[in-house]
Amino acid sequence: MDNNKVIIYDVSLRDGSHAISHQLTKEQISKYAQASEKANIYAIEVGHGNGLGASSLLVGQSKLNDEVMLRTAKENLLNTKLGIHVIPGFATINNDIKKAIEIGVDIFRVACHSTEADTTQRHISYIRDRGKEVYGLLMSSHMTSADILLEEAIKMQTYGAEAIVLLDSAGSMLPHDVKERVELMSNNLKIPVGFHGHNNLGLAVSNSIVALDSGAKIVDASIKGFGAGAGNTQLEVLVGLLTKYDYKTNIDLYGVLDLATLADSLLLKEAITISPLSVVSGLSKVFSGFSKHITRISTKYNVDPRDVFFELGRQQVIAGQEDKIIDVAMKLSKTKGK
Amino acid sequence: MQKLKVCILGTGNIGTDLLIKILRSEYLECTLFAGRNLNSKGMSKALSLGIPLSDKGIDAIIENPNCCDLVFDATSASSHSEHAPILENLKKIAIDMTPAKIGSFSIPSVNIKDSVKHTNLNMITCGGQASIPMAYAISQVVDNISYIEVVSTISSKSAGPGTRINIDEYIETTQKALAQFTNCKNVKTIINLNPAIPSIDMHTTIYVQTDTLDLQVVKNSVNIMLEKIREYVSEYDIILGPEYDNGIIVLTIRVRGMGDYLPKYAGNLDIINCAAIAVAEEFAKEQNKG
Amino acid sequence: MNYFNISLDESIKIQELKNSEILVSGGTGFFGKWIVEIVTYLNDNLNFNIKLYLVARNNSKHINKIIEGRKDIVFIKNDIRNLREVPSTIEYIIHAAATPDNSIHMSNPIEVMDTISQGTKQILEIALGLDNVKKILNISSGQVYGILSSNMISEKNIGILDTNSINSIYPEAKRYSETLSIAYKSLYKLPVVQVRPFSFVGPYIGLEKPWAINNFIKDAIKFKKIRILGNGKPIRSYMYPTDMAWWLLNMLVDSKNGVVYNLGSSEGISLEKLALKIKAKVGIDIDIEILHMNDNSSIFIPDESLVKDKLNLDIKVGIDEALDKTIDWVLKEI
Repeated sequence: MDNNKVIIYDVSLRDGSHAISHQLTKEQISKYAQASEKANIYAIEVGHGNGLGASSLLVGQSKLNDEVMLRTAKENLLNTKLGIHVIPGFATINNDIKKAIEIGVDIFRVACHSTEADTTQRHISYIRDRGKEVYGLLMSSHMTSADILLEEAIKMQTYGAEAIVLLDSAGSMLPHDVKERVELMSNNLKIPVGFHGHNNLGLAVSNSIVALDSGAKIVDASIKGFGAGAGNTQLEVLVGLLTKYDYKTNIDLYGVLDLATLADSLLLKEAITISPLSVVSGLSKVFSGFSKHITRISTKYNVDPRDVFFELGRQQVIAGQEDKIIDVAMKLSKTKGK
Repeated sequence: MQKLKVCILGTGNIGTDLLIKILRSEYLECTLFAGRNLNSKGMSKALSLGIPLSDKGIDAIIENPNCCDLVFDATSASSHSEHAPILENLKKIAIDMTPAKIGSFSIPSVNIKDSVKHTNLNMITCGGQASIPMAYAISQVVDNISYIEVVSTISSKSAGPGTRINIDEYIETTQKALAQFTNCKNVKTIINLNPAIPSIDMHTTIYVQTDTLDLQVVKNSVNIMLEKIREYVSEYDIILGPEYDNGIIVLTIRVRGMGDYLPKYAGNLDIINCAAIAVAEEFAKEQNKG
Repeated sequence: MNYFNISLDESIKIQELKNSEILVSGGTGFFGKWIVEIVTYLNDNLNFNIKLYLVARNNSKHINKIIEGRKDIVFIKNDIRNLREVPSTIEYIIHAAATPDNSIHMSNPIEVMDTISQGTKQILEIALGLDNVKKILNISSGQVYGILSSNMISEKNIGILDTNSINSIYPEAKRYSETLSIAYKSLYKLPVVQVRPFSFVGPYIGLEKPWAINNFIKDAIKFKKIRILGNGKPIRSYMYPTDMAWWLLNMLVDSKNGVVYNLGSSEGISLEKLALKIKAKVGIDIDIEILHMNDNSSIFIPDESLVKDKLNLDIKVGIDEALDKTIDWVLKEI
């Protein structure tokens, strides 16, 4: 990689899925794919918010199945690569990954909670063995110290990952948290490091710059910040901002601004903003994807969702533990009743 | 009453925990604790308890076939694939704790009477033992189930390298058994590892999708099943539900371990051991009848 | 399939092995398989009458097929850590029980270190009980050299190994095994020799191990594409297993106790050139991508001078022939 070249990886059609309860349509996928191609985006990620094979009652069922979503995207992409998010424990090699390879997915991003890298060994090596690009993703890396993150990253590197991306799943990392982690990874790994920001505390874009300054070569972003809760790093803003820096994204500025205009009418029901709950999510360090579930369940049990967030944060729940929400809401409602 | 003579193959944590449970059992007697490594913690424990040991693995049984009638195989899937035909030839009952899946699926609270008709029983997975009885109880009183989903969360500390490298097998085995016992083809299993300290207990949530039900009847069926399960897993509790919302029945279970040899938070490992003991005891009871 | 072509004259060097009994731990691994190949050749063609004992914790279909009907090879299924008894007539031991698969080092580090440390202890204890043990080769690893800035690594150099790092799981355990075997030599005068293998390529190589050369070969054949993650500049060398097996048997008879010997080829080649050679062998329509993800240009090649001078051994199969033969074998296996 040239020293200044950075990859902006577009997660709009995957992380953004959370914002619309995973109800992406064929039209949304195909139109977005075509427009992203025009903007010269390196890769777009498509699928259910929790990735391949995640459509479930636990985290929400998607409107279209994985195969349809991926085929639709693939048909509308030429140079821009197609990526997917895969979490072992949700997806399996036999049921999900084999098909995705057959459909022609280019980049497989295998993710796990930031302390459980060894659960990705078989999946990363399977995909690598099939000649596909595979990244290792460490979710909720705000919850894990830098030294442990490095060990987990080294494991994934050994299994065959070609890049490691650190996810700030609750948008709770402060700039020095980002710097410490990204710097340590960049100095000790043989493969590039990436950063995936969320905007709960209004820091997504600036954290992404901090990440780049600390050695990251990949940054995840979403058009108009389209994503769970307070949303992701805003793609078009980041691209614009990077024109003021030495980092080369190869993305066409006008193209990505047009993409933003398109997204307004095509994807977003409402603008992505930092709601009070998002602030709470960032402060309590609870995965942003929980917001909708927490809102719904808190209403049902007549408890303050902010209390639910803080309690879940205290219990260190991780992505995939949505069933805990009901548990907590019920207990809080009983305490309230007393 | 004569105790059934049993042997444990595999002296790791599972095997050693089984040993402690057998020592408490009125129906079972451990006549051999066999593995490959005399230096293991489990072997030391067994030695301190005065149990006959061997580091010859299955050869110990081949050389002395009269030592036992039933064998718990807590080695590995590939080892059990080798052991199964040998045990079959020696006319031993095999209770397979591994993901080998050679024998019949066994869940004591669901099919214990049928289990004793077979000679190789597979104990499925921890999530399977926790969720399938309840899914089954619901499926018995609800028509038109369109989909069943089971989500288990276990503590990271209770999941060793063996579990972590076999997550796909875990999912596939649980799904297969879930479909078989509920007769519902459309099933999904999800597993999560949670690193929080202090380690969390095993939680399993069962979702059953149906548009017609009588919730009270479901609750009754679930409660009856709960009592059946508690006969062999004392710290099995329903912590939520059954509730019906938006066409979905939701039920959450918490399993705590007995803390015999495995830590208490490893309810996931404990439940599969408790289930295995229950099946073995049933064989013992049958033997005494006959 | 006859891989060897040892003449009667050449075999005089190792004639001391005639009618002897050799034990190989890790008997079903890469080293084990090749000792089987060379011993069966020597027995079938030159009347060496060696009795070979292979110890491994798992069966191997490959080994089972070869030894079927043969009385000169015995398979002992046992974990090296609790191997108790072996025939007291064994005179030579090649201790090769360990896995060089670094994915396993990452996912199961405690078991890896335990197998190497306890396993080495056990084999040395067993050696103590043998009446007439003549040589014990402790197959260590070239990784014990740690970080060195030399162009070719000679047995005298030892570099830095960060003990406080998960990257040191395997090399640190191997270092321990070396020192432990020296402790046994010191106390009991056991005839211990350290062998430090570097990299190999040849039939029976476990292609699933995540090494660059394996990836290049697999990717070239399956996907007509070779991806080099770094800059292609790191220099490696690859020994062909017929040389490896021949060297090992020579080390059994000629090596000096308490000495370290490198086992590998000093013919260095950059990863980029390696990719080009593989491309030339597999077919012309293969893309080579150099991704420049890092600027690593490390050199990992053994200095062969000691082995050349003292043991009169050299490399017979160069990298071109090694790659040719390996790729032919891979193509047949697929």
